Order: sequence, then C-alpha cells, then structure tokens
Amino acid sequence: MRKVGIVGAAITPCKGRWVERTYYGLSQMAVKSCLEDAAVSVRDVDAAVFGIYNDIFELSAIPEHPLQGIIGMANKPGIRVTNGGATGAYAMLAAYSFVASGLYDTVLVLGVEKATDCFDFESMTETPEVIKTIGWSGDTFFERELGWTASDSYAEVVLAYMDDHPGDLKPEISARIAEVLCAQAKNNPFAQRKDENVTAEMALNSRYVVYPFKLLEMCVYTEGAGAVLFASEEKAKAIAANSGKDPIWITGVGASNEHSVSGKDLRHKYMGRIFSDHFAAQAAYKMAGIKDPLKEIQVVELHDAFIKQLQITMGEMGFVPIGRTDALIEEEIMKTPDGRGRVLINPSGGLTFGGHFVGGSNVFSTWSARREMLDHGFARGLVHGTGSTIAQYGVAMVLERR
Amino acid sequence: MAPRPKKPPARKPTRKPARKPVRATARPLARRTTAPPRHRSTAPSPASSSVIPPHMNPPVASEVVARDGVGYLQSNEAMFTFYKRTKGEFSKYFLGLRDELKIYGARCPGCGVVRVPPFELFCPECDFTELEPVPMPDTGVMMNTPPVTYFAHSLFQSWVPFGRGRVLLEGADTAVPMHVYTTKGVLTPFVFRRGTPVKVVFRDRRIGKPTDVFAVPQSELTAAQLAKSPLLESELDFTRPAEPAVPPATPDAKAKLARALKMLQKLAKDARRSPRARHNLAGWKRRIAIKTPGGALAMVIDDGTLDVSPGPLKGPTDLVLLFQDPQTLLDWLTFREALTNAIIAGKLWISVNREFTTIFKLDRLPRSVLRDGT
Repeated sequence: MRKVGIVGAAITPCKGRWVERTYYGLSQMAVKSCLEDAAVSVRDVDAAVFGIYNDIFELSAIPEHPLQGIIGMANKPGIRVTNGGATGAYAMLAAYSFVASGLYDTVLVLGVEKATDCFDFESMTETPEVIKTIGWSGDTFFERELGWTASDSYAEVVLAYMDDHPGDLKPEISARIAEVLCAQAKNNPFAQRKDENVTAEMALNSRYVVYPFKLLEMCVYTEGAGAVLFASEEKAKAIAANSGKDPIWITGVGASNEHSVSGKDLRHKYMGRIFSDHFAAQAAYKMAGIKDPLKEIQVVELHDAFIKQLQITMGEMGFVPIGRTDALIEEEIMKTPDGRGRVLINPSGGLTFGGHFVGGSNVFSTWSARREMLDHGFARGLVHGTGSTIAQYGVAMVLERR
Repeated sequence: MAPRPKKPPARKPTRKPARKPVRATARPLARRTTAPPRHRSTAPSPASSSVIPPHMNPPVASEVVARDGVGYLQSNEAMFTFYKRTKGEFSKYFLGLRDELKIYGARCPGCGVVRVPPFELFCPECDFTELEPVPMPDTGVMMNTPPVTYFAHSLFQSWVPFGRGRVLLEGADTAVPMHVYTTKGVLTPFVFRRGTPVKVVFRDRRIGKPTDVFAVPQSELTAAQLAKSPLLESELDFTRPAEPAVPPATPDAKAKLARALKMLQKLAKDARRSPRARHNLAGWKRRIAIKTPGGALAMVIDDGTLDVSPGPLKGPTDLVLLFQDPQTLLDWLTFREALTNAIIAGKLWISVNREFTTIFKLDRLPRSVLRDGT
C-alpha cells in the first residue's frame, strides 16, 4: 500500500442552528477553506467522499448528489459513506483506501450535516424531533417502537459497564472531564459552546436526560461541515512544499463493527464493553507499530458522544485500564488546563463542547488533531469514531508527523 | 394503571406566537389529577388513531427568520412515507405476542444457542444452519441495569419517564428489548438492576408490536400472579399515588421560601429579557401550583413569559409541584440540583407525570438566563 498524508483541513463554525446556510452552502464553505488551507485548486483533486449520516436531516434520500457539482467535482468519482455516528471516520477510511491502493492520488473528504431544521410542533422546540430523526436509526422491528434513542442505547452500554465495574465512572470524575473539555473549547474559534463556562459542579448538578447521562455531560446537536484532503506521498510532499504545512501521515487504521444484538457472550454484543473501539484501536496500533499508546501518542481526538463513554473508550484504546477509567483524572492521565496530565484529549472541546455535526464530526476531530500536531509539534495523534446502536461501530486512525 | 394507550391530548392555540408564526400551541392539560403515570402507546388501535399523530402535523406555512439583519425563509415540511410493511420471518414472533400470548425464540440445532427475539433464519455460527422455533417462558432476569429516559423524542414525550431494558428469558442466550415498569409509582433508575428477576406482562390490547409486552419486577407480584401465564396488564395492581401531605410548616422553611420567591421573581424578570429563556417557554402555557412546608407559590407560564406570585394558585391548575423542602427550589435556582433530579431523588412530587416536558423547560431557565447575561 502507498503512504497517505493529510495535506489540508477545514471546518465551518459549529452552530446549533444555521438558519443562514443550507447543507449546500455549508459544504461549499468547508471545501473552499480546506483547499485554501492546502493551497491547491479543486482541479487537482481526483475524487470525493461524502460523509452524510442521516437522509432525514437533509430531507433527501441521495443528499450527496447536489454536492458533487457545487464543490467543483463534476465528472469525477464521488461516493457517499454513511455509518451512523462513525460516518466521518468511515468516510476517511474510504478516502485513505482510495489513495493507499493507488486508485487516486488526491481524495477530498467532505462531512456535512444539518440537524435542527427538524422541529417538533408540539413542544415548539427542535430537540425532540432531532432525537426522533436519529431514532429511525435503531432496530426498526424490535426497538424503535420502544422509544429507542442514541442516548438510551449508549446508556445501556455504560450501565452494563457500571454493573461490571461499580467503582468506576464516578460522577465527580465525569463532571471534571466535562469542565476540562469546556475550557479546551475556548481554544477553538469554531466551537459551538466556546462562550460557555461549565464548571464541574454545574455538570454534576445538571439534569438527567437519560440515566446515567446528564445534560452537560453529553454531546450537542450541531449543524456544520468539515473537509480533509488526503494525498499520496509524492503528491503530499509537493502540496506541502507549496502550502508550507507539513503533511500529517496516516500510519495506522482500524475498524470494527460489533453485533447489533446483545447476548450473554461474544457471539453477540457484550454490553459491558465497547469491543468495536478496542478492536479498531488494536488494528490501528498494529499497523502503526504502537506498543504502548499512552507513551507513544500525545493527542487523542475521541468521539465523545457521552463523557462516560469517552472514559470507557479511553480504556478500550489502552490508555487506562478497563474498570479504572477514572484514572484519567485521579492518576493525571488526561491533560488538564493547569498543565497536569500526560495525554491531550479533545483539545478543541470535543463533540461535547466543540460540536457534533454527525457526518463530519470525525472530520472535525481530524482537523483538530492535525492542528495540534502542526502547532505544537506532537509526533503522534489518534482519531476515533463511534456510532450506531449500543456503540456498535468503532474506527481508529493513527496520525504521525515525521 | 399500567402503561396504556392514551389518546393524544387536544391542543389549544396561543393568542400571540412569541417566536414562530406557525401554529404555536400548547397542550391543554386535564385538571390536576392524582391519577398515576399514564403512557401513550405509539400504536393504539387503528380505529382510534392514525399512523402519524394528527397533533404532530403542522400546517403548510412559511416565515422569515432574521439573522444579523438579514431575513431567511423557512417553511414547514415533512419527510413521510407510508408502508404496509411485512414482518416476514418475524411474523410468528409478533403473532405469538398478539394472538397466542406466547413468546417464541429460535434455537439452533447445531450449537444450541437460543435467540430471543428470533431475529434471524439461520445460525451464522454454524454455517447457516436453519433455526427452529421454540416457545419461551415469560420469566427471566434483566441482563443489565436498564436506562431510564427522562427526555424522549417527540413521539415519546408523554411516556417519560420510561425504561427500556433487555430481558434475558430463562433458557435464552440473547435478550429481548422491552419496556420495564414498576407498579409502585414513578420509575426511578434504582428499581431495576442487572439480574433483577422480572415477569413479562401482556397488554390487554395487542397489535403485534414490541409494545405488546412489558416487564415488571417479580418482587412486586403475588405468588398467583407470578404463576399465571400469560399475565395481563389488567391483572396487575398499579399503585395510584395520591398527593403526599405537605410537611408541617417551620420558620426555616418559610424563610427559605421567601428567598426562593425573590429569586424566582428575579428569574421571571430576567427571563423576559433573555432570548434563550423566551425560546424555552415559547408556545407553552401552564398554570402551576407550588406547595412547600414554607407556604405556596403560583407560577404561570404564558407563551414565552413566566410569572411567579406568593400564595396559592387561583383558578385552573395544570400541574402541582410539591417540595418536601423549599431548599430544593433554592438548589435548582443556584445550579445545585435540577428539578428532574429532585424528582428522581424523591424530593419533589409532581401531579402529572407526562409534565416532565414542563419540568425540562423550567430546568433550562436559570442556565438560559445565565448564558444570555440578563
């Protein structure tokens, strides 16, 4: 396989509602900025991958089709990837594969999502209808009609984990992580919640949405777009020489989808673990030659749909032991604004405070990881994506600057 | 009563929409009731409702929304498709629920795995050996501690709080997703745990859907109920929680309520200047009686505004909030405890369970005002 590098990235501002833009406009904004970042013309791009999670959010069964032309990719290949919350990560995996295989030299990933165009005319608010729209993603024969939501399905996993490890995921630890992420969002000019000042006490005392998830310890709904440009080694070096920005090389990728039905053993989903994250990370580490992620990775961009899930995923990816993920704070594994800690997690606020435009959220994470690596000289980064019911999908991607 | 199909409430228009000139509405409530939690089925009898609840269907309309001095057009739309969707190979399972009042699983003759519900024809572990149907018992255990939903999506707003758990029936290797209920009042996260023995209960009215059954703790059943198969919801005794007595008045409680009143009135005043707070309350009308050992307050939400006054609420009451201690009001207003969490903790009693929607709106207010700096 060929070496693949990231040579450009950009996101739009993340907003709870973009009245001023459709997803067409958001897509153009992200692509324009990404190409400017890479200092290339769209004519230099060979193919496109569109990450769009949910047809209903875009009110279209083929939501990517209008984007091909308006992002300047007419008459070139373009595919859409949709894999639940992990859509952006899987879209990047597809783009990586296109370049690594030698099929194309430069591939643009565009992740975009609307959400809060959805509106519930009963409560006169957006959120219940947004949750309903996501609710069509659950099993439609056995679960949807029980009120399945993304929150309660991830809560099932977290509660099963808590059944196995009752001493872990202490409320004050999750609250402290929320406080850290909120502070880190202030480093991100595009963050949806950059002006908020959520303290650990506020997070701790915020209301339950779905037990055990509290309002200030879970991701937000966001409208926005992000784009990342992948290039082969030769092209990447040429583009970097022109843009003045080092390529960030992708040295490991991994993905895993678990069973969607839970059972007593691993023939089905075991609810107390997120093995999708574990297997995805292990595959990526093996490919990148990583033996000890805590020692070898400096920045992690983790798909924090829920803070407690962030903790479990950090365990699954080998940064802390499963059953002792509170060590992120208690043993100063997670870097905090006061300078303590060893690994930087979600330096742009994550999906909780930065924003979660589903089809492009992992693209946002990649933009952030690359930004940190270029600005602070970090040698290695890790991007993670999770999605589908009961944390079924997991993707991991190791980034290196060398 | 048990979670029964409930007709969606009628609607009444507000006089003057605060934010969106679409059909701004509030659900009128029945008068305060001591009735227990009721739950609306998403699939009531075909004769009494439609696939899309009519009250969720907005009129054809459009409007201009301003951002930074520029007007943007938005219109009411929907993405809908109607189906006559086959249940195909799952028909035996759903017809079993509906007509036979039995639960069927699927057993692999090769490896012996029993999957419930029977979600596949062949066993992928055994080179796709054909599975055989097997009747299952109606008792089992919770496979894990189930989540309890307090903020649901728009089709389930009137169900909250509800639990959706996975029941591992005796002899099964996979778990059946189903609702879990307690017969003893409001569902809290602590009623069901991993391993809690449960019994599956069949609804009186069944239509071949996952909601035809739900689980209750075996500990809440009599020996006769536990032994009976099938057990119907009408055979259960769902506690009817009466309004608890207000604790005796104390000087401390009165002092706390006086402080809470001042803070509430300031919140109401600030909320009028807070776009977020006005948005929280837009299109909503509720008359709320607050009872505490320190005295009573009257709270009125009226389409974007909040008014709070001392003394009992005069006139119709949509909702009663009974606080064991006015300190809970102070904790809510100072971000120390959400009202939702106070209900879960038993510090706050509400008269109408489905009014969690109103509770959420109140929970948002202090933070909205803070964020807008009003």
